Amino acid sequence: MFMSEKPRVGVYVCHCGINIAATVDVEAVVEFASRLPGVVVAKNYTYMCSDPGQQLVQEDIRKENLNRIVVASCSPRMHEMTFRRTLQDAGLNPYYLEMANIREHVSWVHEDQEEATKKAKSLVGASVSKARMLEPLEEKEVEAERSALVIGGGIAGIQSALDIADAGYQVYLVEKTPSVGGRMSQLDKTFPTLDCSACILTPKMVDVANHPQIELMTYSEVEEVGGFVGNFEVKVRQKARYVDIDKCNGCGDCADNCRVKNRIPNEYDEGVGKRSAIYMPFPQAVPAKMTIDPDHCLYLTRGKCGKEPKCQEVCGPGAIDFEQQDQVVELKVGAIVVATGFDTFEPSRKPEYGYQDSPNVITGLEMERLVSASGPTGGEILIGEGETARKPKDVAFIQCVGSRDQSVGNEYCSRVCCMYTAKQAHLIKEKIPDADVRVYYMDVRAFGKGFEEFYDRVRREGVRYIRGNPSEIFSKGDKQVVKVEDTLTATPMEDEVDLVVLATGLEPRADARGVIDLLRLSQSSDKFFLEAHPKLYPVDTSTDGVFLAGCAQGPKDIPDTVAQAKGAAASAMIPLSLGKVKVEAQTAEVNQDTCRGCGFCVEVCPYSAIELTTVNRFGHAVNVASVNEALCKGCGSCSAACLSNSVQPRSFRDSQIMPQIAALGVRK
Amino acid sequence: MVDQAVIREKAKEIVSREDVKHLVGWRKGTFGYRVSPHWVETPEDAEKLIFSPLCSPNLTTYLTLEEKLPLPKGEEPDRRKTALLVKGCDSRAAVQLLTEQGIEKEQVLILGVPCRGVIDQRKLEEKFPEALGGVEAEWDGDKIRLRFPEGEKEIAREELLAGNCLNCRYPNPVWAEEILGDEVEPWSDGKAPGVEELEKASPDDRWAFWEKEFSRCLRCYSCRNVCPMCYCEDCILDRLNPTWVYRSVNYSENTAFHIARAFHLVGRCVGCGECERVCPAGIPLGKLNQKMVEEVRDKYGFEAGTDPESLPFQASYDPQDQEDFIL
Amino acid sequence: MSEPFEPNIVAFLCNWCSYAGADLAGTSRVKYSSNIKIIRVMCSGRVNPLFVMNALQQGADGVLISGCHPGDCHYLEGNMYARRRFGLIKELMEFVGVDPRRIHMSWVSASEGGKWKDVVEKVVEDVREAGPFEQFKRDKINW
Repeated sequence: MFMSEKPRVGVYVCHCGINIAATVDVEAVVEFASRLPGVVVAKNYTYMCSDPGQQLVQEDIRKENLNRIVVASCSPRMHEMTFRRTLQDAGLNPYYLEMANIREHVSWVHEDQEEATKKAKSLVGASVSKARMLEPLEEKEVEAERSALVIGGGIAGIQSALDIADAGYQVYLVEKTPSVGGRMSQLDKTFPTLDCSACILTPKMVDVANHPQIELMTYSEVEEVGGFVGNFEVKVRQKARYVDIDKCNGCGDCADNCRVKNRIPNEYDEGVGKRSAIYMPFPQAVPAKMTIDPDHCLYLTRGKCGKEPKCQEVCGPGAIDFEQQDQVVELKVGAIVVATGFDTFEPSRKPEYGYQDSPNVITGLEMERLVSASGPTGGEILIGEGETARKPKDVAFIQCVGSRDQSVGNEYCSRVCCMYTAKQAHLIKEKIPDADVRVYYMDVRAFGKGFEEFYDRVRREGVRYIRGNPSEIFSKGDKQVVKVEDTLTATPMEDEVDLVVLATGLEPRADARGVIDLLRLSQSSDKFFLEAHPKLYPVDTSTDGVFLAGCAQGPKDIPDTVAQAKGAAASAMIPLSLGKVKVEAQTAEVNQDTCRGCGFCVEVCPYSAIELTTVNRFGHAVNVASVNEALCKGCGSCSAACLSNSVQPRSFRDSQIMPQIAALGVRK
Repeated sequence: MVDQAVIREKAKEIVSREDVKHLVGWRKGTFGYRVSPHWVETPEDAEKLIFSPLCSPNLTTYLTLEEKLPLPKGEEPDRRKTALLVKGCDSRAAVQLLTEQGIEKEQVLILGVPCRGVIDQRKLEEKFPEALGGVEAEWDGDKIRLRFPEGEKEIAREELLAGNCLNCRYPNPVWAEEILGDEVEPWSDGKAPGVEELEKASPDDRWAFWEKEFSRCLRCYSCRNVCPMCYCEDCILDRLNPTWVYRSVNYSENTAFHIARAFHLVGRCVGCGECERVCPAGIPLGKLNQKMVEEVRDKYGFEAGTDPESLPFQASYDPQDQEDFIL
Repeated sequence: MSEPFEPNIVAFLCNWCSYAGADLAGTSRVKYSSNIKIIRVMCSGRVNPLFVMNALQQGADGVLISGCHPGDCHYLEGNMYARRRFGLIKELMEFVGVDPRRIHMSWVSASEGGKWKDVVEKVVEDVREAGPFEQFKRDKINW
């Protein structure tokens, strides 16, 4: 790394209004910076990121011939991009920028002004030391695939896929279950408009199946993702249905005649309803094809089903194919949208609510299935089985089950439960007008468009809202007793009801870990997938080209899910529409003269971006390391493993970090 | 039992091969009891080869020390093999170089010699100052017989052997084309008493010990030069941009030098003891490196130079690596 | 009256998890001791263990390295290498006689602003107890 010119450093200390200036003596930091070796200009300004702030830097670059810029302000994670552009627009290589974080790491976390100022000076000193050693870097470009992968076929995945496809790009929509639709297909009516969920969802499901730009891969899972934005290499496993979908016409004769007909708990009905071993998840499934469940089919588990499998016997088109194998498909895509959805809280984790003890304590989603016309009871709200089935008179809803609850590890609010409870309470009143419905709540959150109005309406319809969180729910004969205190009147009571509905909250999917490992996602403290920035990048992840949509990122209702899905699609389309992506500039570089070809860096690199090649050193063939810059992500693990310090990540070289250490070590 | 005659015969045979450039072994040195490395290019040269408890030098270091001179245009590099006589520890150094791609398998021909330990030169001079006038040594059961011009003396092995030999776990070469001698029974579990003693001392006492030792360092770099594992063309401890360690000779820089070198040897040091042997200031470098050898063995289950197929220790990790020290 | 000893601690934080966690502590206005000074690296795997030695030599009293939790590394496994390396440098330094309270490693994720504060306070406390580092400090003229 040859220094061809003397560094002329400009230091700019930001006030950030009073965010920095109230704690750090900005003038003193400027004065300190002006005395540092190499510093030609040291100034301060109220808002460095504003137009005048940026112009200040640009003017100085021109007037004072600055070739290194240090901005002491907020976190580089905030504005590094902004200031890089400032430099670029002024004709200076954007990698000549170094930032000192004196806001998040100083003014916002320390109270003593003297200490804060001392620390700010030290950090600025370190940044100047590093800035002097920076080098110009070039951002290369590679071509991007003009296609996208959407993982998850719920409403979020469907919406993203439709938007990207409508814009003209190829989309691969991969869904784990045999049909798209997801959670929304399990709902009856949606709050607050009481739209029929299936009625608004199924047209979109059909669109996705028929769209010329969408390849729908149901009953499939993403197994492997490699590559980088614009050039993802994906392996998708299409699981064997044991049914030839080209021949199957979805008539259902097979399911009607299956030897284990209606004996298997149906996932779609949350286990309340039953299905056969060969099944269609629900009547409006898309694709409307049958699938054989390999865990319950007699032929597949025991090798024998009577004399001949019944389904095969009765299938008119002859679509049953027990020889079918899983198929692995390899795809190349430019962007990925993760829309893998949620699971609901498992109520047996709160044993005091008696979910395990009685069939008359059910979850919100189970209630949804009871109330649905496509559900196991045809839309009738019934408790008990067969002869003893009857309509409940007294129904209690319990809010915040598994949410806002430190004891089960879910501190967050699940956002939708207050409203779905109000909706379900309303539906009960509609179907059983003389039922006495009460809702035991902690707070009612009716924040969205039309929500408060709906909540009012539901109360006017006679649903009673009682503020209290039950301590226990137990059976007494065929009644459920809810032991709770009405906190507004300080009255403890034991409320006997026929049916208890636990408004269970939303949780990340049980198999989320698999998705995380696949895509290098992070988790927030609530364990949902972490967005790149909570305010400004709600659909991005820390991996370029991978976006989040829907409840995978956090609990939300359908309007918010669709909005986020559209946002993710728009972001995903950026590399697709440009047709090219910028490759990381801060990649590693090998000094092949000092490299001794030991291969430690080759072993260590997580992206296999380094390999040993042969070079000619004075007539001898010598092995040295060589970096593939398209694959290198600039992590620097290679560098720490290198005993001769030959491989170094640009902008984070030893010669750039060690001056920082020296500057910070100085005690003033 | 190792018969010198067998070694000489073998050397003659090897050196006569077309594909062998030379063989490196030991011969009597020019000063007192010292032993020098000997390059055997012709069968006649082989007559000078010896093997005795005085043969401390680790000849593996010459594999990487060999200078590759610039070749005139059109000339092909000499790709003939270098044959090498190795003891137990030396063979592990060769294996370690193999895993690090410091040498190629086809470049070397290893002849192993089972070893019962070598004499510590400082202990020898202390107990037998007359050794400087010349002495020969051989094994006699569990004792070492020293043959001075004036007569013979015998001494128990524990009193004369080098520290690292007393806790050696690999007296037999682990990788060799041929082993020239009878295998030896290992005698130690590998724990060095000197290391244990230091581990038990208080941090202040430990620093007092090392500060005194490092103050004596001359920065002659003998330890680095003799070490088979130190073969970087441009050692980071010599570099100026960035400067890890200044060239001034004071205990701050000396400590940094030795910590850095010891760290670079983690998972690579085979405990041959050469660094301690050649140090003119008598710094117990063996203790420093042996501590890390034991640490890596006990906590990570790895020993350098025992498996030619293994991944380098510093370039790998185990998902179960300990993390009790992490907050 | 001499001033009480204020430790000078150099910290290496990985950009994606720990640095973000420290930023979150800032956005949440959590307050902690000002003795800790952060150097940003892209991954904890970047941190050459000899930086620890270098930092102590150049005036730091303590060193902290912080990275992503195992399994969460943005670059897949950099933190795994860091873990192995730091276990070893800590042992080596301790064997030479450096107080083990001076060298720390932590896992702090991007959402753990609170944990960052706790880590800082623990490290500052430990280094304060260990006292100023004089053992092989390089004598330099302040620039």
